[in-house]
Amino acid sequence: MAPAGTGGIFVILVIFVFSSCESLFSGGDSYKRELTVKLYPNSTPSGGELLHVRAVGGNDTLHFLFCSQGAPTLLLVHTNSNSSTVEVNWPEFLARNTSGSLKVEPQSSILYSTAIVFSQLLEYNDENNTAEEKSNFFPAYELKDFIWTRMNLSDSTATLCGSPTRSGNGSLCLQLSVFGSEGRADLWPRLLHSANSSQLEVWLNGLPPRSNMSRFVLELQAVGGAYPLSTVNVHQFIDDEYTPSIFQMSQWVSSPNNGSDVLGFAQWKPVAYRTPHATLEDATPCRNSDPQQQSGNSTSASSALIKAFYSDPAAIGLNVSFGIAGEPYYNSTMFLSWTMLVGVGSPPVDSFSPMVIGILTAGLGIPILLLLGGGVYVLIAKKRESSGTGYEPIN
Amino acid sequence: MADFEERRSLLGDENEDRGPGRQLSAICDPSHVLHRVVVLIFMCFLGFGSYFCYDNPAALQTQVIQDMNLNTAEFMQLYAWYSWPNVVLCFLGGFLIDRVFGIRLGTIIFSLFVCVGQVIFAAGAWSNHFWLMEAGRFVFGIGGESLAVAQNTYAVNWFKGKELNLVFGLQLSMARLGSTVNMNIMGWVYSKVAVAVGSSGHTTLGISLMIAAGTCVFSLICALVLGFLDKRAERILHKEQGRTGEVIKLTDVKDFSLSLWLIFIICVFYYVAIFPFIGQGQVFFIEKFNFSPAQARAVNSIVYIISAPASPILGFIVDKTGRNIGWVFAAVIATLCAHMMLAFTFWNPWIAMSLLGVSYSLLACALWPMVAFVVPEHQLGTAYGFMQSIQNLGLAVIAIAVGVIVDIRGYLVLEVFFCACICIALMAVVGLYFVDYLKGEGLNQSAAERAKLQKETAEHAE
Repeated sequence: MAPAGTGGIFVILVIFVFSSCESLFSGGDSYKRELTVKLYPNSTPSGGELLHVRAVGGNDTLHFLFCSQGAPTLLLVHTNSNSSTVEVNWPEFLARNTSGSLKVEPQSSILYSTAIVFSQLLEYNDENNTAEEKSNFFPAYELKDFIWTRMNLSDSTATLCGSPTRSGNGSLCLQLSVFGSEGRADLWPRLLHSANSSQLEVWLNGLPPRSNMSRFVLELQAVGGAYPLSTVNVHQFIDDEYTPSIFQMSQWVSSPNNGSDVLGFAQWKPVAYRTPHATLEDATPCRNSDPQQQSGNSTSASSALIKAFYSDPAAIGLNVSFGIAGEPYYNSTMFLSWTMLVGVGSPPVDSFSPMVIGILTAGLGIPILLLLGGGVYVLIAKKRESSGTGYEPIN
Repeated sequence: MADFEERRSLLGDENEDRGPGRQLSAICDPSHVLHRVVVLIFMCFLGFGSYFCYDNPAALQTQVIQDMNLNTAEFMQLYAWYSWPNVVLCFLGGFLIDRVFGIRLGTIIFSLFVCVGQVIFAAGAWSNHFWLMEAGRFVFGIGGESLAVAQNTYAVNWFKGKELNLVFGLQLSMARLGSTVNMNIMGWVYSKVAVAVGSSGHTTLGISLMIAAGTCVFSLICALVLGFLDKRAERILHKEQGRTGEVIKLTDVKDFSLSLWLIFIICVFYYVAIFPFIGQGQVFFIEKFNFSPAQARAVNSIVYIISAPASPILGFIVDKTGRNIGWVFAAVIATLCAHMMLAFTFWNPWIAMSLLGVSYSLLACALWPMVAFVVPEHQLGTAYGFMQSIQNLGLAVIAIAVGVIVDIRGYLVLEVFFCACICIALMAVVGLYFVDYLKGEGLNQSAAERAKLQKETAEHAE
């Protein structure tokens, strides 16, 4: 009796918990945006392309601009009107002489803008397998000098690949994904994104290393007008369901006056993967250096988009180094992939999946129910016993 | 390894100790306590090698995974293959020792299996063949559990009487010492071999495991010496060879009461949350708590370190107070708290692992004697054999599941899985309490009540 009843209660409880949790957790951030994509130039490109994605929300617009002229750059502009547009003076943009060739109209509606520039790919020889990037650096790859292919557009993703020389084998690719609603990517690290963020995946595929013990470092620059991304916070959290064995999240945020309000962010998990469809063993930790002030002028010179949009940019640079002491070198798989989210507002916050909540509720709830149920049953049984006289008269 | 040492009721013939014909020096006189201390030392080291080598994979987890190119699921197969032969052998161990080999030859044969198994395991690593490593663990498993049966039989034969509990306690402590030493030393051994060989890799792993096999050779020597001393004692004292006295009749299974089945459920679901967790614990502590490999191994071994002194003390307390179900309940709750701490907080894992060590010892002291309370004596062998068999079955299956879970969903889901297993054990404890209360079987009596009841039954029988 007891086991069958318990089983039935268990099934009902699990179904109830799952259905209630689905609504609870999937409706976390239901803010949606409409996406429209435009690729410049309309004709054959001569020196690189500019991708413009317009994500329109209820009463605001987020403009994503992704450019392969010079160093690959992603620019986000957040405006408070849902009819703001981007105007590009293409000849001036190509000339890269003046700023103001890319404008967001109306100018007064701009709330916040931030840009990430991929400036350099560094390689060093890690002879002693200590992963200290202090010496033995080979000449750096300047990403502004790479030959970039045409952007490959599909759904709401754009893929861009480049190699150091025209006939070079091996490439560095970037893939931008813009989202209209909350969701989670399919491949590891399965970052949780909202409608206010875009995902950038960077991967090195087949680029020949210059030594057998090379490790790579990627240099990023964050550019902003008033408040560029300035500090990196590392958050620890207990849930590694979506990225097994990674319990940390790094966030590069811009918060004015060290306040609690976060205007814009870049978010990543400190892990890189050594194969395209990674398993747990292919994960390699990565570290970042402290953000440092850099010359805004040289950033302008290296990226057409920065030159076009910002008149007086402030640039802060950060190095992401892949691999730590004891990890296999780059030449074990000739592949490295790393993913980051770039967005405005506060970074998305992860939560437990319904399955975990369901198992815990069932696992803890059922013994308590059994205790209570059994206690009540015993009390009733005792009462029934004591209500009888015990001895029955013979006559 | 299964807690064979914690359970024992005395089944044995009365042996008449006839004195030796001529005078021997104290240490050579088999009936003198000094000689028996010497025998005790060899008896304790008999199991040292197998316990040392059982947890070799856990101590070298990162190295095994990296050198042999494995994922966690394949790594946990090394533990699953140890448990598979013991699903069947738990029933056959007593039979093999009593009827087929005899205690002396049986011990030597099982020690040989342990030794050969570890050598095959090391050879598999050296030659970079993972299937050979799995085969080695299988052979190792054939010898390991049966060797524990033999060790206990020796103990009963030589130390029957008041000293037996002390001897069991010492054997258990030696076993735990072997596990602890393994956890803390093998990493160091590997690094030294890597320096000598020049690089890490499967060759280094093979050599390190071969060095570990040295402890098994040492245990084999102890088995040979014990066999010699036992034969000599038999000749001098004219006593019979030790027997386990177990009678296994599989048809008895249909007579098992509901309480016994609940005890089985507690046993299976509790131990699958302990041993597979320790088996892959090192990487968990490195990844989540940022421990160094040496620290991770140390915290992994704390369960065994605590169990060595705690088991005799807790056993004494449980014996004195009775109320076994209450103690089992406390142990299960404590383990659940420990796993939840490891899952949902970043608190120092030393706390959770120490709690785990104490609760694991407590459960062993309280759970295994309960079997003797609900099963008539002639079925005891079958009951214990069955309990060990399904425990090994559970360990084998869950070891594989643990590996798959870590690879696909990570450590939080793994810990939640362990919590779920403990919750099932908790449900069984609650069920056992009520079944026992309603049927009046007296599993939860205090020791005083039980003694009074036994006296009354004895008086009644006269």
